Amino acid sequence: MDSEDDMHDANDIESLDDDFYSGETEDAPLDYYSDYDDEADDYFEDADESDKIKSRRPEQNFTILRESDIEQRQEDDITRVSTVLYISRVDASILLRHYNWNVSQVHEAWFADEERVRKTVGLLDKPVVEFPNARELTCGICFENYPCSRIESAACGHPYCISCWEGYIGTSINDGPGCLMLRCPDPSCGAAVGQNMISLLASDEDKKKYSRYLLRSYIEDNKKTKWCPAPGCEYAVTFDAGNGNYDVSCLCSYCFCWNCTEEAHRPVDCGTVAKWILKNSAESENMNWILANSKPCPKCKRPIEKNQGCMHMTCTPPCKFEFCWLCLGAWSDHGERTGGFYACNRYEAAKQEGVYDESERRREMAKNSLERYTHYYERWASNQSSRQKALADLHQMQTVHIEKLSDTQCQPESQLKFITEAWLQIVECRRVLKWTYAYGYYLPEHEHAKKQFFEYLQGEAESGLERLHQCAEKELQQYLSADGPSKEFNDFRTKLAGLTSVTRNYFENLVRALENGLSDVDSNGAASSKATSSKNGAGSSKGRGGRGKGTSRINKMTDDSSWSCEHCTYANGASVNTCQMCRQQRR
Amino acid sequence: MANSNLPRRIIKETQRLLSEPAPGISASPSEDNMRYFNVMILGPTQSPYEGGVFKLELFLPEEYPMAAPKLGRICLDILKDKWSPALQIRTVLLSIQALLSAPNPDDPLSENIAKHWKSNEAEAVETAKEWTRLYASGA
Ligand SMILES: [Zn+2]
Ligand SMILES: [Zn+2]
Ligand SMILES: [Zn+2]
Ligand SMILES: [Zn+2]
Ligand SMILES: [Zn+2]
Ligand SMILES: [Zn+2]
Ligand SMILES: [Zn+2]
Repeated sequence: MDSEDDMHDANDIESLDDDFYSGETEDAPLDYYSDYDDEADDYFEDADESDKIKSRRPEQNFTILRESDIEQRQEDDITRVSTVLYISRVDASILLRHYNWNVSQVHEAWFADEERVRKTVGLLDKPVVEFPNARELTCGICFENYPCSRIESAACGHPYCISCWEGYIGTSINDGPGCLMLRCPDPSCGAAVGQNMISLLASDEDKKKYSRYLLRSYIEDNKKTKWCPAPGCEYAVTFDAGNGNYDVSCLCSYCFCWNCTEEAHRPVDCGTVAKWILKNSAESENMNWILANSKPCPKCKRPIEKNQGCMHMTCTPPCKFEFCWLCLGAWSDHGERTGGFYACNRYEAAKQEGVYDESERRREMAKNSLERYTHYYERWASNQSSRQKALADLHQMQTVHIEKLSDTQCQPESQLKFITEAWLQIVECRRVLKWTYAYGYYLPEHEHAKKQFFEYLQGEAESGLERLHQCAEKELQQYLSADGPSKEFNDFRTKLAGLTSVTRNYFENLVRALENGLSDVDSNGAASSKATSSKNGAGSSKGRGGRGKGTSRINKMTDDSSWSCEHCTYANGASVNTCQMCRQQRR
Repeated sequence: MANSNLPRRIIKETQRLLSEPAPGISASPSEDNMRYFNVMILGPTQSPYEGGVFKLELFLPEEYPMAAPKLGRICLDILKDKWSPALQIRTVLLSIQALLSAPNPDDPLSENIAKHWKSNEAEAVETAKEWTRLYASGA
């Protein structure tokens, strides 16, 4: 049984080859890679028209915000709340901050129960204590007496002298963004201390910090906005829930995933990316992790420094998550059952059970799994560095070469866009290819057919991209170093533009196929096929893996039986006699 | 000396701690550093600590009262992010006393005190005697 299955596997891969890649109809040469109107396709049968169009021409469901845009939006929101609720702008700002800048939530909560909202947020409508006829008051912090002119209070009326307020506010601002939630110093009071008090009592430097925190809060606490994670980039992004495409490209040219804020990682899902990144850091930084005296807060991921003796960590406001330094578990999970607070059991248990003390067999396994990991990691990393290089080359093209080329080839720069486009495509494809290695690493070993199919697609992608990269890098070179116009330049344009489009289509289809989890390959190892009316008879003997009625959207870019066009060198599939790229006849 | 420019607030707090001590709590400043207090809290009646004495050292940092007093390894919210300059040494010690009278096994403070108490029982009894002597002789 097993061996028979193995045979099927081998057979099926072959049939996949025939069915999914080379089958092409001659009457639609430019449909080779994509079209919406051909008869059908087994492979991508799940995608409906609108999905295809969307992923092809992604509708932008995000907006990039500059600092001035952010300030404007924040001001507008404060104005809205202040107008609708008929409260001061300071109070509106406190309310919004409390409800994570969600205007409709503020309105809803306020109109449902104003009194309760006022209480939780600390917006008092009248003082708690009053000293109508006092000429002197005792400061509740330094216990000194002061004339009333030297005393300030929040809405509650609790009296503190100006220098104590300055100390109180300064300490809070320098403690971090928790200052946005500042309350009256009286522990039983809770009256909010708003920006008016800050303006009155903070130093200029602290006022700047406070405004900065307020701006940051607008982005960081708002569920619909995030900072662009690129280092040094100061743009923010606002995202409207949309078609499930989380890719965002910032004005700084960085592309990232809205959902997990890692670098854009289609076709791999966020969970796999997180696992992979964790794996990478575990392999390389095990020791650093253990020795570090700062760890990321398990909730908000900001680094929290351990500067106290006890293991009870409290993240800085506004997160305030309480966790255990040793096991990074929630502090609320800790009690006697974890073996006492300063000898956290979850940590000790791991050691006692010998998790770190491997037997010989496990060492062997570990070695194998390390080798396997290294295989994928190296390829992932080398595509990453290749992408970095391509980015640098792209930059060089845009800033130096295009202009020069425009001179020597007597072409307007607008006619040279195809070069930039090729490089942009290379950068994008390197990114996709890189993530296919994480995809491959987590593809279950036992799904042989899927694995083989995947590796096949990946191999095709790799070689197709190499061809494009080489054309853009090496073949361009002769025109860059030429002194005058060359008559082959137009052919070069045709070729590079063609390769760019072919590669773009291939990769777009690859991304979709992988995002579908290669769902067409069933567990028995064949490509499942609802339509079995195989025309060319090249399907598997048992009718599995048939190519169905029509074209596959993933097509081979190179093939043993392919022929290389004499005109443009494009490698065409065996079944066509017209070059897919330049439409010259096969010779 | 560090005591020469002690803020009025610390002087006032100290005077009050000595003149009107909270029941079951003694806090006396060290002679050579007025920011350093020796604290003893009597185990509250009908608590597991009844008859015992919990000894603590309390230190007022330079930033006090903007920063909380330092109390060794004690893990108490008002000593961390819940600190307010309107709180006082007395409030802090009363909070600890309250925790002793209603120990919560899930509370890290109780856990710590319990350990301390168990490991130093002999010493604690000694302290209790000394305490009683001091207290009885009307300090
Ligand atoms: Zn004062
Ligand atoms: Zn107040
Ligand atoms: Zn950016
Ligand atoms: Zn993601
Ligand atoms: Zn946190
Ligand atoms: Zn723990
Ligand atoms: Zn051709």
